[in-house]
Amino acid sequence: MTDPHFEVIEHTADWSIRVMGRDLCLLFAHAAEGMSTLMAGELDALPQDVQRNLALAAFDVEGLLVEWLSELAYWAEMEQIVFSRFDMVEVTPKSLRAVVRGGQAAELHEHIKAVTYHNLEVVHNENGWETTIVFDV
Amino acid sequence: MKRENFKRISPFIFEIPKSFRSDMRVPARFYADFELLDGALGDKSLDQLVNTATLPGALKYVLAMPDIHQGYGFPIGGVVATELPDGVISPGGVGYDINCGVRLLGTNLDEEDVAPYLDELATQLQRSCPHGVGRGGNIRLKRNELISLVQQGGKWAQKNGFATAMDLEHTEENGRIDGADGRKVSDRALKRGLEQIGTLGAGNHFIEVDVVEEIFYDKAAERMGLYPGQIVVQIHCGSRGFGHQVCSDYVKQFQQVVHKYGIELPDRELVCAPLSSPEGQNYLAAMSAAANYAFVNRQVLTHLIRQSFEVTLAGKVRDHHVYQIYDIAHNMAKVEKHQLDGREVTVCVHRKGATRAFGPGSPILPDRYRDIGQPVLVPGSMGTASWVLVGTEGSMAQSFGSTCHGAGRTMSRTQAKKTVYGSELRQQLEERGIRIRAGSLRGLAEEAPIAYKDVDRVINVVHGAGIAKKVARIVPVAVVKG
Repeated sequence: MTDPHFEVIEHTADWSIRVMGRDLCLLFAHAAEGMSTLMAGELDALPQDVQRNLALAAFDVEGLLVEWLSELAYWAEMEQIVFSRFDMVEVTPKSLRAVVRGGQAAELHEHIKAVTYHNLEVVHNENGWETTIVFDV
Repeated sequence: MKRENFKRISPFIFEIPKSFRSDMRVPARFYADFELLDGALGDKSLDQLVNTATLPGALKYVLAMPDIHQGYGFPIGGVVATELPDGVISPGGVGYDINCGVRLLGTNLDEEDVAPYLDELATQLQRSCPHGVGRGGNIRLKRNELISLVQQGGKWAQKNGFATAMDLEHTEENGRIDGADGRKVSDRALKRGLEQIGTLGAGNHFIEVDVVEEIFYDKAAERMGLYPGQIVVQIHCGSRGFGHQVCSDYVKQFQQVVHKYGIELPDRELVCAPLSSPEGQNYLAAMSAAANYAFVNRQVLTHLIRQSFEVTLAGKVRDHHVYQIYDIAHNMAKVEKHQLDGREVTVCVHRKGATRAFGPGSPILPDRYRDIGQPVLVPGSMGTASWVLVGTEGSMAQSFGSTCHGAGRTMSRTQAKKTVYGSELRQQLEERGIRIRAGSLRGLAEEAPIAYKDVDRVINVVHGAGIAKKVARIVPVAVVKG
């Protein structure tokens, strides 16, 4: 995993992060890291005793990003499991396969109710891929 | 967007004309004074309001209440009515926490009756009422039981011993939206809902013990049983993971549906479908199920609050019983009939962070409140004040029977945490005699009063504009947060 490439964007009521990645694999991994950091703070402190193999599909890349993050947020709500390591096996604009590892967080800082489509656009520029995601909290 | 883009059409109404942007179907109106207008220009909330004016079928104007703040898709504090049969319903226009709302409970206790036991009561409420992220409750349901619950709403609560007949009578829609269909929600929504009935959640949700500070409208206060010095209780929460999942599922599905119906929108979160379409009808049935879940959720919490009062106060005060004053939704879409420019229209009114506020005489109101108007419950920021209002003829004439829902944020959660430490805030509030029981000090800091608008200013706007009438101002003495 490379250095984190996300930043928190000010939002009056909810949470928003801007995420960058050289390729789609890194963009998706950084987005997940950003969301996990919002939920649990320091990711290095989390156990890594839970592993899940994920295969997801959507009709476009923005939809796939929402699916991906929603899946991870679901486990945080249901079992307080926060994932901190994201091995992206394959990411295309319409599907992904990944192996994620994490563990139960002692405390959740934020409850992500949902991942929104608000102004969601995954764009390609000279540095790679970039997007800004708004979470309902 | 700038102040110059608005035309002031009355002391408390500012309008953005339809000509402001070529894709607007109707003008946008903002209930505010100049200070609230300037505050709202500080984030993207008014741009989001303009975006809602592009929804197919939007009728007359889209509205923002004075507690508006930036959301996603719709602003929080937005009201949009679309005319049926062709108008649309938008899941994002209801939001993820479907039927997030407020319940007000009354007691026959004075502040001094409870004062010696207040610490104990606050602790008991925190202990009895499950709270926090994803926290399960004490009720474990099977899948078919959950489907019955979301279809029956308040009646399920009554059959299972959690509600009285008066509780249901004093709940919006009697605690049950017709047409709810548990088969229109996903397996994941059902899974998220199985263990969360009777739980508060986290974020800005709370249970608060308050004292009635001042009465402004005697007849309405008397009808609700409110008097100065009285102890009352507020509950603020919604449909938990069940509702969040219903909204997520339909926002996802409608990303494709908009193409089917040729609908173009400036933001994908606004996706919608004609209400008369199969997709629109499916969402309405699923949303109604989530709304019923939320009514039952607040009802079970009411039951737990009653138990807490009994455990703490029975035998120590003359009457520890708790009765229901009213329960309102502030994230909902409803099919309603309104009079507009001399004709009756059937509309789908989206209220996202806005409260229904039907005026006196409305046949949907319970007998007790019919001649005073619908009770409207407006929680302020933690540690300040909350308000009880009633709907008016003005709200029926101007705002599709709608008014504000809270104080409205002005500061991000990040900024609030940089400005205030949770531990200091708790100390400051406790020095003012407000007992704080919070699951997380970080969460407490995010909800600091400094992060919100002045609720009294918000109320003065809706009262001054005539879209609600002041009944009572209440102030907190104990707060339980997730």
